[in-house]
Amino acid sequence: MSAETPRPGPRDGADEAARTDDTAATRPGIDDQPRPATYYHLARAVLYREYLIFVRYPANAIGGIVVSLFFFGALFLGGQLLAGQALTDSIEGIVVGYFLWTLSVGAYSSVSNDIGSEVQWGTLERHITTPFGFAPVALLKGVAKVVRTFLTSAVILAVMLVVTGTRLSLAPVTVVAVAGLSIVSVLGLGFAAGGVTVLYKRIGNWLNLLQFGFVGLISAPVFDLPWTRVLPLAHGSAMLQRAMVDGVRLWEFPIADLALLVAVAVGYLLGGYLVFQLATGRARRLGVLGDY
Amino acid sequence: MVRSAANARGGPRERDETDAARDEQSSGSEPSGGESSDDPGPPALSIEGLTKRFGEGDDAVLAVDDVSLTIERGSVVGLLGPNGAGKTTLIKCALGIVVPDAGSVRVFGNDVREGRRAAYADVDAMLEGARNDYWRLTVRENLRYFATISGVDPDSVAARHDRLLDRLDLADKADTPVRDLSRGMKQKVSLASVLAGGAELVFLDEPTLGLDVESARTLRAELRRLAAEEGLTIVVSSHDMTTIEAVCDRVVMLSNGRIVADDGVEALLGAAASDAVRVASPDLTEEAVAGLRERFEVVGVDREATPPAVTVAAGGDRLYDLTDALRAAGVTVSDIRTVQPDLEEVFLERTGSVPGAVGSGLGGASR
Repeated sequence: MSAETPRPGPRDGADEAARTDDTAATRPGIDDQPRPATYYHLARAVLYREYLIFVRYPANAIGGIVVSLFFFGALFLGGQLLAGQALTDSIEGIVVGYFLWTLSVGAYSSVSNDIGSEVQWGTLERHITTPFGFAPVALLKGVAKVVRTFLTSAVILAVMLVVTGTRLSLAPVTVVAVAGLSIVSVLGLGFAAGGVTVLYKRIGNWLNLLQFGFVGLISAPVFDLPWTRVLPLAHGSAMLQRAMVDGVRLWEFPIADLALLVAVAVGYLLGGYLVFQLATGRARRLGVLGDY
Repeated sequence: MVRSAANARGGPRERDETDAARDEQSSGSEPSGGESSDDPGPPALSIEGLTKRFGEGDDAVLAVDDVSLTIERGSVVGLLGPNGAGKTTLIKCALGIVVPDAGSVRVFGNDVREGRRAAYADVDAMLEGARNDYWRLTVRENLRYFATISGVDPDSVAARHDRLLDRLDLADKADTPVRDLSRGMKQKVSLASVLAGGAELVFLDEPTLGLDVESARTLRAELRRLAAEEGLTIVVSSHDMTTIEAVCDRVVMLSNGRIVADDGVEALLGAAASDAVRVASPDLTEEAVAGLRERFEVVGVDREATPPAVTVAAGGDRLYDLTDALRAAGVTVSDIRTVQPDLEEVFLERTGSVPGAVGSGLGGASR
């Protein structure tokens, strides 16, 4: 790829002449001889940018945690009043489902909103004209969003466990793998929504309502209606319940279940990414890529 | 139009090795009628027969109509045109942000249809109405990020970034988040981030828009300096004639999607200078002006001025005829001077509209 080809030499002849050789010798790597950036450099830049914004502006993350816990508190306390023992009997499932829902909402909205912001700022247009394009940047941002969402949802899960006095199996590898693959499918929906937002700017806020539909996917009756397993989140949600409530480890799941989990994740991610690419391609033909 | 600095510098990355080999070959033997070591290589931008239409049927807008344009390396070209003239679409087609219906775009000799990544390896743009960079990052973090996505390891150009920040008076703000800077500073950060990756072809869309007089003047000076020192190829779109005149050495005027003028700034001004003379006198009655019209081309009449004035095409030897005619008509001249045209007048003459009055900028059909 082009990024591997050498860049032209320095352009400041006068400045270069003025610089002493020992400067370059004593500052290896800062010799002003442009070196090509690889995908490693791109990943580092994108992930570092996401990290900086996360740690520099924590209000968004904290706000999200507070709102999620408020809703859970209302759900839990209200449920206790209305359902009493029935709720207590199913509280483990509710905690796991709510945990997955916060993960899903975090991944979906951060990706779709982020694409909208990039359009608004004019930075998406700038990425289009770079050697890497926006595609790998968008995927790397998606990875960063998933990691970030895991961190905030872990806090929410911890508080939920303390408040409800529930005990769940928290085998890290199993939980991260199953929950991670589950929300990858939602990440694909986020890309698709972001692509649609590029084309039809005002629809973005409406697409945020989709996240409430995730409740239905998380609680889909996969045993009664097996076909629902191919929907985003549904199969992963069932597996996460078994992992966290019943203590099933990753390697104890049937291979077919794991394969379907991966297939659904990859399928929706590729599908969402395809929609995003088609939408930006159409936006380029219509000349509305940078409009907002 | 090609500046010497452009030839001294390496071309886009795809050409380095071949250029070096060619130069080495040329220096060791007599040129055989082919390319010499002075060959500037392919133009920075070559547009052929570009056409773009938006919409369909009666509502369709022909934003760019069969435009061909070549911009040599190292030149600084201004794009002028009224609102809807097609400037935005032309630039965005060149950048690949808008897909044209017909025509081709070659950047440093690379056809963008055959490989966008290679073609845009040395291109960046500052687009009007956009933030262009990340306000929550610091100035230096923006430079490093945009250098990376431009295909350059930011560590390898850290010294260049320092120089860039120095030149744009941003060194003191290097570690300040962009959101905390003034409008003028933000504009400079946008410019710095565009140059951070070593782009050789830079599109600047309304670079002085929204800036106060002092900030605009500073930015124009920086653009001039950067263009001269770095040998960049710059395409500037602006409705601000001062910016175009101050920064560019060539002007492309667009109207209704077509190029109506394409020449050096001085050539355009020289051609427009023609022979206009402005005469002011309290004796310039309608009858006197009518008498002048019979013998001369009256370019304009300003009755609001005190005293009233008339602009007549009567340079050179015709000036003597004009003074004779004025004397015969009993007009005592209060003031007489040759008209020094500016780009706005040239523009008005070529397009019949004033870019500043109609918005211009890149507010073309695609926005």
